[in-house]
Amino acid sequence: MSISIRRLHKHFGGEVSGLDITQPLPRDVVAAIEAGMDRYAVLAFPDQPLTDEQQCAFSRNFGELEVTLIGQLSKPEERRLGDRLELGDISNLDAQNRLRARDDQKRMYALANRLWHSDASFRAIGAGYTLLHSRIVPSKGGNTEFADMRAAYDALDDATKAEIEDLVCEHSIVFSREQIGFAVQDDGNADKLRPVRHRLVVTHPVTGRKSLYLSSHIGGIVGWPVPEGRAFIRDLTEHATQPEFVYAHKWRVNELVMWDNRTVMHRARRFDDLHEVRDLRRTSIKGTGMTAAPAALQAAE
Amino acid sequence: MTISIRQIHPAFAGEVSGIDITRPLGADDVAAIEAGMDRHAVLVFHDQPLTDDQQRAFTRNFGTLEQAPGGHVTKLHERRLPIDMQDASNLDQHQRPLARDDRRRMFNLGNQLWHSDSSYRAVPAKYSLLSGRIVVDKGGHTEFADMRAAYDALDDATRAEIEDLVCEHSLMFSRGVLGFDVTDGERAMFRPVRQSLVRTHPVTGRKSLFLSAHAGSIVGWPVPEGRAFLRELVEHATQPRFVYSHKWRQYDLVIWDNRQTMHRVTRFDESLVRDMRRTTVAGDAMTVSQAA
Repeated sequence: MSISIRRLHKHFGGEVSGLDITQPLPRDVVAAIEAGMDRYAVLAFPDQPLTDEQQCAFSRNFGELEVTLIGQLSKPEERRLGDRLELGDISNLDAQNRLRARDDQKRMYALANRLWHSDASFRAIGAGYTLLHSRIVPSKGGNTEFADMRAAYDALDDATKAEIEDLVCEHSIVFSREQIGFAVQDDGNADKLRPVRHRLVVTHPVTGRKSLYLSSHIGGIVGWPVPEGRAFIRDLTEHATQPEFVYAHKWRVNELVMWDNRTVMHRARRFDDLHEVRDLRRTSIKGTGMTAAPAALQAAE
Repeated sequence: MTISIRQIHPAFAGEVSGIDITRPLGADDVAAIEAGMDRHAVLVFHDQPLTDDQQRAFTRNFGTLEQAPGGHVTKLHERRLPIDMQDASNLDQHQRPLARDDRRRMFNLGNQLWHSDSSYRAVPAKYSLLSGRIVVDKGGHTEFADMRAAYDALDDATRAEIEDLVCEHSLMFSRGVLGFDVTDGERAMFRPVRQSLVRTHPVTGRKSLFLSAHAGSIVGWPVPEGRAFLRELVEHATQPRFVYSHKWRQYDLVIWDNRQTMHRVTRFDESLVRDMRRTTVAGDAMTVSQAA
């Protein structure tokens, strides 16, 4: 079976039609979606009224589901979506389905999603795909933007490519929150906050294309003075998120968008979150070891 | 002598010719330069081999030299230049490039972030004047962003939202974001000051965004929300269409109006010598009254 994909942006992004992903899918369709992901890095599936269960089932076609960090850091009574820890709550609602107050700590934590990042890059093995499904969308704003890290890598000059080829970065959830003045509390979760190392230049296991593995979770470059590393990462991020490499996704209700965290960064844009509801639900697929030898990198400590 | 100014970017910035600024200037020349600054916000003068004294003298045409303490972490005995000349080089007091991990170099890296000079002072700077004594061939550009054009391009809802916002500025924020280790003594010296986010030029009446890497929060907003919003405004205001990138030639002098522009330096090979010297014209008013 072939699926139909309409290109959304010069470099990447595709919209998939002719498919009902609320139903179990045959192997060849899953393979076609994966081939589409390798090529487009971001795929949007409009008009898919998925339940939580169906979203998890569709996601499992692509690998094992990741448990969300915010779920792990939250108490059971704080979770709106119950004990399904693999379902990330990307909403501005609290456990009682009320809009979060302006100074709500979870809101503060989530504001860092407005910085360009790659999901779970703060883990020794970052996320593979992320799948985000829209249940309620605001009337204005709240777009998700994607930046193509393959095209951004290709556009670097040779001197920069040579300079960054073997660089290794340290990533932690603490760094991305620190940038906007939010201190992540340890609360006995020190192991989840400790920086992990990833190569800055990674190679896609299927296509062999190189891309920049950037993320707001990066707090330094190994072997570099911290301020120099951070300034350089900011420069690279600015380069990689030029309009040339960015696709802005305007959400419609019941849309599923999936992206490959190994080849794109993303961020959420601002909306009137004190007055309007935005309810999106996220599943992530465990990565399979993208960086050359993650175990060796961690051991190099 | 007649000076002429050629605009070098669609929105702002002019290149001045027909004047020798190493010599004392007549009142009409000074007035012509000030009028050019009001209009272009950045002016470039080529082939002006200024001495420090000549640079000071030229600067005094536009007001008082800013020489207030508190804007740096360099100890007096480590200074390469007198206190009224800001050292924008990568050199130590022995004229050698700073070591990679030298604390002064770590601090200077903050200049790679978009900022407005002295926005961390209650009375922020008027003009900055930067003289290129020794320049590098590759990188080390100074980029300027036109905060008037950036303001004009905002939609009405955003303009209304920001009209009365006040930000807190401190060197702690611009240095903190890069992970520079601020000592307790420096923290006391870098106490935040308040600045209006929207300011109006005293001569032209044009509004502009008063943004800076030193801005770390918006008064009355939760800190993360303020910072996230300020980042978005900076991103908007530093789009290529608002940015002029100045590639230095030796003996260029560039003046910019900190009330209407932000600027930053771009990366360069710091094993090479880049000797830039800055004088600053002090501002004459606070943008908003300070917290009691």
